Amino acid sequence: MKNRFILALLVLSLAGGFAPVSAETAPTAREAWIMHFDGDWKNASGLPEKAMLIGLQGLANRTAPRLYIAHAPDFPWEITVPLADFYTRKHGVKFTELKTADEALTLFAASAKGYVVWDTAVMPTLNVAYTIAGLEDAIVVTPALIPLAERHGLKRIDDLRGRYDGMTDTQIYADAKTRYFARCNPDMIMLMGGHAGDMRIPGIADWGVRQRMFFHDLSGNPAHKDEVALAMELYGAMNPGAFVFGWHSYVKDTEEQHTTLTSTFGLRMDGLQSLPNHSFNSQFTFTPGFKFQNQHHVDRDTKLVAEKKVYLAFVQSDGIGLGVWTKPGRGKLQLAWGAIPSWLEFAPAALEYFQESATPADYFIGGLSGPSYMYPNHIPADRFDGLMREAVRQMEVLDERIFEILDNSAADGNVGNADLTKETVDRYYAAFPNVIGFINGYGPARTFDLRNGVPMISYDYYIDPRRPREEVAADLQELITINRNRPYFCLVHVRESNDVNSLVEVTKQLHGPIEIVPVDTFMKLAASNQTYRTRYQLPTDPKHFEGFRRE
Amino acid sequence: MKRLRLGLLLVLMFAPFAAMAANPGFAGRWRLDPARSSALDGWHAADLVIALDGTQVALTYHMTWRTTKFSATNTVDTAQPQAIKDFFRIEQRHMAVYPRAGESAQVTAAWLDAGETLRVEAAVPVGISQGEGTMRVYNEFRLLEGGTTLLLIELHNTRHRPLVYTFTKVPAEAAAN
Repeated sequence: MKNRFILALLVLSLAGGFAPVSAETAPTAREAWIMHFDGDWKNASGLPEKAMLIGLQGLANRTAPRLYIAHAPDFPWEITVPLADFYTRKHGVKFTELKTADEALTLFAASAKGYVVWDTAVMPTLNVAYTIAGLEDAIVVTPALIPLAERHGLKRIDDLRGRYDGMTDTQIYADAKTRYFARCNPDMIMLMGGHAGDMRIPGIADWGVRQRMFFHDLSGNPAHKDEVALAMELYGAMNPGAFVFGWHSYVKDTEEQHTTLTSTFGLRMDGLQSLPNHSFNSQFTFTPGFKFQNQHHVDRDTKLVAEKKVYLAFVQSDGIGLGVWTKPGRGKLQLAWGAIPSWLEFAPAALEYFQESATPADYFIGGLSGPSYMYPNHIPADRFDGLMREAVRQMEVLDERIFEILDNSAADGNVGNADLTKETVDRYYAAFPNVIGFINGYGPARTFDLRNGVPMISYDYYIDPRRPREEVAADLQELITINRNRPYFCLVHVRESNDVNSLVEVTKQLHGPIEIVPVDTFMKLAASNQTYRTRYQLPTDPKHFEGFRRE
Repeated sequence: MKRLRLGLLLVLMFAPFAAMAANPGFAGRWRLDPARSSALDGWHAADLVIALDGTQVALTYHMTWRTTKFSATNTVDTAQPQAIKDFFRIEQRHMAVYPRAGESAQVTAAWLDAGETLRVEAAVPVGISQGEGTMRVYNEFRLLEGGTTLLLIELHNTRHRPLVYTFTKVPAEAAAN
């Protein structure tokens, strides 16, 4: 298994010409181009041109980081502008702005050999077109954009109009599988889902085109038997430890269903479908001499003794770069952040940017569940250790000591659960001998343990950004009241779009002997006095979904 | 003997309320108005169906989360205290406070205010991260003037703020569909 995993990583590093540019060998100044996108992703207006440009970006960045896209302030990933500044400051990138698609094609059309026409009336054709674009070095165009492409000397490579009329998504992707899958990257596949209806945000398509991935948005919803069966064929054909980039379709299935599906094959989920600029970001390494130095508050072997009080710790583990990092208020509350570990390979400069801009109140933790987002109760036993060895390696590079786990496969609002079986907990304790603590959950969960001074603590509360702050304060106060034993260890998960200033106000409303501590201090305190009850997922716990059965 | 005395005492205490007739307007299907209610977490929608049968009041909750439907009934008796297995309360999804499956809540109920208010008080066993606890839940179901609005005010001995849920009567023909 170990050899297969190392082989997979080796293949991965070679696939698609993945060759990061070391800042040590790079010239002091580097020329690149930047486009500023607005927020119009409607199929009928902004999408066609943006889809073409993002695909073009993947081709333009095949051999060097040339084209970068900065997004509107309301774009899900809010770091694109500050990260461009970081490239300028730290990597000597001199960006020249391209204002139109015509300018972009004037500069980069030579990166393409032609164009593929997709049909706005049959949306899966956009994904098929992207697959072809990666394999044939094409840009993707709607009929309205053909004249623009041809003005720049590009010829028609394929035209999907009419080919898939009246066909189901299963039929369309089955045909695409027959035609293209064998030539696609066996270490990366693109789940280009997300929005449906009148808009799409294929922000990560540049990466899929550059790496020659197979694009699809097949469902992981068990009710869609045909789509699930085809998705399982695709995932089953990927190499061990392969990545699933992108995100599930918001109208076909749930995050929980699709992540359960990918985890069933031991695949690494790396979201989202809107994630921009991987084709650019992947070609930089850290600046010379840079080393991650997490701001630890306790040494690994420190022993603390909890007092008779309430200890609160806050964690934000949704994709870092989504939401609050760039907003005012960060630094006013001790907050742990789940850094995206695969960005060590695919966007190291972004991780360096986060480290550089961290305040003394920001602390980084590992996860989620593995080297990428996975549901551990469903990872095949023969894949678990290899995947976790990679997660351990990532944590060492990122100087992280706390690992976060989530398995939402059985979660379902108020009636499911997000707990780990004892077998899964055993595996984690064995796989991560050097951590000082584990976190479990997303919403609240009930898996708790303490072994050899290393606690596993589930979230007791999840802060929904839409929940009125006075209710959040009342909820937390209620937990403090009902958990009467002191010390009480209350771990709080903060959804990414919460405003930190409002959280500070919430904490001011709480009564009692309360102390807000960094999460590493929290773990050391929790190790000193187990007032939480050891518990794992029970066979009788309510389960929304049992999982998929591989043939 | 001690139990018998306690039971007798409780019956005597609640007898005046039990004798009070309920406003028949309580009966029927009520739909939660989220805009006029405390924020729900997890649940997107809720219907409450009330059935009156002598001193018994069946409170059936039909909860919705995405495509998941969940229903539960608390049948309370205004004539006597009861132990109700798997007593349902509208939980907040984002709090680690769980019902203890298979266990019973001690429940009393009474009609107040000339039958315009149903009071339900329950000691509910809950699971928490520290193990097990009990939450005392005090509910008042108030039928407002006009009979088309039902107010559920919920107090916990553990919570400083009340939870207030406003329900609107679903017309009989719509409720039947």
